[in-house]
Amino acid sequence: MSEERAVGGGPRAGSDGAGAAGSRSEADRLADHAAIDRLTDELLPALIAKLGASGLGELEVREGDWRVRLRMAADGPDRAPMRRAGSPVRAGSPGTAAVVATAPHGAAGTPREAAATASGPRGSDAVRSSEAHPPRPRAVAVAPAVGVYRPRPGLAVGSRVRTGDRLGVVDVLGVPHDVVAPADGVVGGSYVEPGDGVEYGQELIRIELASAAVAGEPTTPGAPPRDPAPAPAPPNPAAPAGPAAPSAPGAPAPAPSAPAGPAPSAPAKEGPR
Amino acid sequence: MTVSRVLIANRGEIALRILRACRTLGMGAVVAYSEADRESLAAQLADEAICVGPADARRSYLSAAAIISAALVTGCDAIHPGYGFLSEDAGFAEAVRDHGLTFVGPPPAVLERFGNKERTRRLLAEHGLPTIPGSEGMLRDESHALAEASRVGYPLVVKPSAGGGGKGMRTVRTPRELEAALPVCRSEARAAFGDDSLYLEKFLAENRHVEVQVAVDANGNGIHLGDRDCSVQRRHQKVLEEGPTPALSPERRDELRGRAIDALVAAGYENVGTLEFLVDPDGDYYFIELNCRIQVEHPVTEMLTGIDLVALQLRIAAGEPLPFRQEDIRLRGHAIEMRINAEDPAHDFRPQAGLVERYLAPGGPGVRMDSHLFAGYEVPPYYDSLLGKLVVWGEDREVAIARARVAIDDLVLDGVITNRDFHRALLDSEAFRAGTFTTALLDRVGPAAFLGGPRRP
Repeated sequence: MSEERAVGGGPRAGSDGAGAAGSRSEADRLADHAAIDRLTDELLPALIAKLGASGLGELEVREGDWRVRLRMAADGPDRAPMRRAGSPVRAGSPGTAAVVATAPHGAAGTPREAAATASGPRGSDAVRSSEAHPPRPRAVAVAPAVGVYRPRPGLAVGSRVRTGDRLGVVDVLGVPHDVVAPADGVVGGSYVEPGDGVEYGQELIRIELASAAVAGEPTTPGAPPRDPAPAPAPPNPAAPAGPAAPSAPGAPAPAPSAPAGPAPSAPAKEGPR
Repeated sequence: MTVSRVLIANRGEIALRILRACRTLGMGAVVAYSEADRESLAAQLADEAICVGPADARRSYLSAAAIISAALVTGCDAIHPGYGFLSEDAGFAEAVRDHGLTFVGPPPAVLERFGNKERTRRLLAEHGLPTIPGSEGMLRDESHALAEASRVGYPLVVKPSAGGGGKGMRTVRTPRELEAALPVCRSEARAAFGDDSLYLEKFLAENRHVEVQVAVDANGNGIHLGDRDCSVQRRHQKVLEEGPTPALSPERRDELRGRAIDALVAAGYENVGTLEFLVDPDGDYYFIELNCRIQVEHPVTEMLTGIDLVALQLRIAAGEPLPFRQEDIRLRGHAIEMRINAEDPAHDFRPQAGLVERYLAPGGPGVRMDSHLFAGYEVPPYYDSLLGKLVVWGEDREVAIARARVAIDDLVLDGVITNRDFHRALLDSEAFRAGTFTTALLDRVGPAAFLGGPRRP
């Protein structure tokens, strides 16, 4: 991380050992991090805007070792059905774009994948993936198993829920599996009907996050989120003013930011109530 | 018991293979996939694809509840389990039936009857198949073991009746070695399987692995579809298969195939299956086990017979009678299958994962590639390393080897390290060309002897 490097006095002093995963060189990692930053901060927002405006279904951009592919979900704006013939690959979330960026092998041969979906959840990573990227003011409860969906009696748009609340069940051969709220907030809508068959990880219920509701900023389904939630700021502070001296010969300049550390925590976990 | 829409509860090349068989029969096909296989070719090409769980197979491909639930949710009336995973699980087959669905494979009662290896061995021995000579039942104590050993003759293998994977197994050449091995094997077997009963089997050092493909319908009509030789093995994993076996004379092969199908029909088997035999240097064969599923190497038989075995499996499961009699089956020429695995032969065959950057299947007369690869596909690290099967056919063994050699060079597959070089070396080796491979050869001389050394085994 850039801070450690500054404190350590030398360009690489603070980050040997623990940070150097596998056999990839520090230089490779820094170069990748710089590329990831540029991807998330500049390229993706521009591409998403372009995709939305163009009416195209898919965009692919190659640059150096990177390849970025965006797909617009073909499904209706408010449902996330199982995949049918003719729409072979499903985007992450209805009415929004899913982004998968893939880098070919580094020195160690393990490619990494950065996935971002415009409203966060994909599969069971709902909360984590919304943390790893500029936060959005909504979260989605997903199916814990494949089966038949039944909402909790009385659950309706506007119902207030807290993290971990049971919102309903997915019935798997008669055994109920709880659908739980991934965040505090208010039920904003449902992507499925009671009695629908759902797949593992399928998006079921949209939760407008507590902080967003309080901030008077309810989101419209399908609309691109306009503003990230108040905290935390996207992780691109300028490099600390320390000894940002040119690094050792052969090593690249330190990246402006280092997003590979622990993701910033989710916003508004301690909302009202 | 019609089958009109099939849930494919597997992944990789076999999911695609089953999908194609369903299509040719006019059946709908739904692919059940784990989160790691979301972008898989089978999931993309299916009529419908449904995520059944996370990458961990225990919670997806091995979860009977998730698989059956997925079949019900997607309106399927049958489940094809492929190979591995739930394919030979009698409990699963029974649960499938209890939910009003058809299990594509032997009926639950048949799976149950043939589920235990030791019992199957005895059952088929009663129906006339030779088995490896060994002790009568389990070893009671040391003196019983010594008496049985001298009756059968050394060398012998001490084997636990439960489990597998080499645990609790020892090869013994003298009474003294047997005395030393007994307590060790007992404690290993107890620790590994919770059952310390042991038996003795004659040790066959230089054996070959030959198997007979059969199909039996619900009315008890059975046919064999020839044999396959799977003697090229590395640590008990098949690497390359061919048919017919070069280890037996044509007369001996006919005899083996005939006895295999007769015994299996008499014992009450149903659907497609494979009987595995060990063949010793004298050409004597011994039944070892029965596989109640479609096998990885089934394309060898399809090349020799022209029959779609997966379609046959689906039709038998749907209650149809066998569409041909034994005399309709013609075995033509020679076929070889090479398993293309994501593993590094230069580094102890370590499994590989990663992005397939370029992929182009070989072609030409008698060449078939069964693979789920495409350029841009990410090989996930969670499952077995099989990327595809390159299968060739020729009028005779020599032509088949020549075609195999060209086809393995023609395969374009960049981005993931495979065992391709190993196949090249195998095809060039004297042992393979002479048709004298034994199951122990690769492990005895070491795969390195086949890779780049000036002297080939």
